[in-house]
Amino acid sequence: MADVSLKHIKKVYPNTESKKKKKGEPEKKTNLQITEEGVLAVQDFNLEISDREFIVLVGPSGCGKSTTLRMVAGLEDISGGELRIDGKLMNDVEPKDRDIAMVFQNYALYPHMTVRENMEFPLKLRKMPKEEIDRRVKQAAETLGITEYLDRKPKALSGGQRQRVAIGRAIVREPKVLLMDEPLSNLDAKLRNQMRAEILKLRQRINSTFLYVTHDQTEAMTLGDRIVIMRDGVIQQIGTPQEVFDHPANLFVAGFIGVPQMNFFDAELTKQDGKYSVVLDGVSVALSDEKQANLEKNNVQPQAITLGVRPEHIALLGDGSQMLHGTVDVSEMMGSAVHLHVTSQGKDVIIIVQTMDLRGPNHISLTTGQKIAFTFGGNVVHLFDRESGKNLEA
Amino acid sequence: MKKRSSTASKVVTCIFVVLCIFWLIPIFEVLINSFKSNTFVNTEAFALPNSESFVGWANYIKGMTFGNYPFLKAAGFSLLITLASVALILLCCSMSAWYINRSNSRFAKFFYYLCLFSMIVPFQMVMFTLTFTADSLKLNTPFTIPIVYLGFGAGLAIFMFSGFVKSLPLEIEEAAAIDGCGPIRTFFLVVLPMLKPTLISVGILETMWVWNDYLLPYLVLDRTKYMTIPILVQYLKGSYGTVDLGATMAVIMMSIIPIIVLYLFCQKHIIKGVAAGAVKG
Repeated sequence: MADVSLKHIKKVYPNTESKKKKKGEPEKKTNLQITEEGVLAVQDFNLEISDREFIVLVGPSGCGKSTTLRMVAGLEDISGGELRIDGKLMNDVEPKDRDIAMVFQNYALYPHMTVRENMEFPLKLRKMPKEEIDRRVKQAAETLGITEYLDRKPKALSGGQRQRVAIGRAIVREPKVLLMDEPLSNLDAKLRNQMRAEILKLRQRINSTFLYVTHDQTEAMTLGDRIVIMRDGVIQQIGTPQEVFDHPANLFVAGFIGVPQMNFFDAELTKQDGKYSVVLDGVSVALSDEKQANLEKNNVQPQAITLGVRPEHIALLGDGSQMLHGTVDVSEMMGSAVHLHVTSQGKDVIIIVQTMDLRGPNHISLTTGQKIAFTFGGNVVHLFDRESGKNLEA
Repeated sequence: MKKRSSTASKVVTCIFVVLCIFWLIPIFEVLINSFKSNTFVNTEAFALPNSESFVGWANYIKGMTFGNYPFLKAAGFSLLITLASVALILLCCSMSAWYINRSNSRFAKFFYYLCLFSMIVPFQMVMFTLTFTADSLKLNTPFTIPIVYLGFGAGLAIFMFSGFVKSLPLEIEEAAAIDGCGPIRTFFLVVLPMLKPTLISVGILETMWVWNDYLLPYLVLDRTKYMTIPILVQYLKGSYGTVDLGATMAVIMMSIIPIIVLYLFCQKHIIKGVAAGAVKG
């Protein structure tokens, strides 16, 4: 029930350790920028979150996503910038006075309290009337299906049940902003899928603004209204799941979003008779009209580029002249599709082939060592600057 | 291989049984002598009570009335000092250990090492100056001596609490902060209940020490007014300085029974608490 605004948010950890190290010794752990002030964990973070929006911060370990969330929660000091919740400046407000709730990765339930006491705890601290506490706990327990466990201690619950209790403790408060720090990471794959669906349902039922941190891009894509992709403390792209999938801002986003990862090729962008096309291994692929227009608008010159193609956009064909060739390395049967690892021009190329396409009279054998030919359309390729990695169409 | 290991375990069991017997002999000696008359305690210390030497509960009754200082008064002071000291140690040291572990300040680290250092300084080294300091600060009464005990008990207690606090996930305290707790509430409502295993083990260890301690109260307390049971045992003399060993043994038995009972009830917690601190700390 609130909009959140983060303006030029910065987090610097003072350089205590590195002073002792020899000068010039590189920081090996991450690629975070180190300045005189210290290590820049989050830099110039700008995000406007509207009321009831579900925002997912996603990125690899050490990218600053959890630090950002913890700054919103008030568990980390903000080194620079402004954090506003519902228009009020929150930089120096205590966590308890921000009207937020948080769900932690390792549940963080109070082990000496029963499930009911855990859920009542934040309400009792706010001196809420007993009837109101009972009503809210009952309602949250019903929503999350944990009514029968209310009198158990957390140690008597499974991981999934514990996480539900943790979510329950957060939602009974009816907070303005609900923060979730990798809440599903400790669960097994099946339970994670189930809980993901439940979070989606929960989201419909409660009126909070969600800020969710994960390193799992599937979670990000399925849950978020908008996704914020981060790397080394810097935002790489903000957009809806479809936007970041279809129009990745740079090579990092293109590689991070999508499973299996996007294939990258070294290619040439050429322009003949005012029409752009990409040349890869002697094969020329004409670009779609939309891409032509975008490149024209950005006045992109013919140059050496990195070409990105998603595995599901590559088509296997019989042999032909305008084809790329490769040898099947590994074939992974996933049920509805087969993931083919193909060696082409010394690179590993992943191709997704639908199992349906492998049946019937024109089926292609996909055993190891099999020579195959493949191609892709000019409408599905992504063109990146080879130096900066930026999307040339953006 | 299996047979050999089971033989080895039998040998080890035998060795420990023998050791246990050796360990129990002095207590057993005190027990049997507490039922014998003074003469027989002196002449046949190791003999079991017989019809001639057995005096029943007489020594116990005498032990409670013999000498210049009432037994129950000494027991009362012992209880007061023990309860107050242990409560003070548990409260202050658990709080300190929590702060030391959660604060990044150098002072906290320095203070921690100072506490560890206090464990290796023998009491005998400081007892002379302590007597004068305690006197001048009026710490020589049963109501104020717990502060002296806090000082001597803090080293071990902070060491054990620190080990356990390190193993507590920080997220629980962060969750408490978000739920609406300040530092005081976080400590009392969230951290302290989680410290229960260590509270019990430290509590028992400190109780055993304070209850049985002889030297510190002997040096610090104003003995004309206040005695604890260990001091009383030494002062169990008749009007002409006669010592009734039978009664003394009875008083010793009465003083060790509470602590043995306490230990038997709580021994599993001692092992749990010590292990938790040791492994995860």
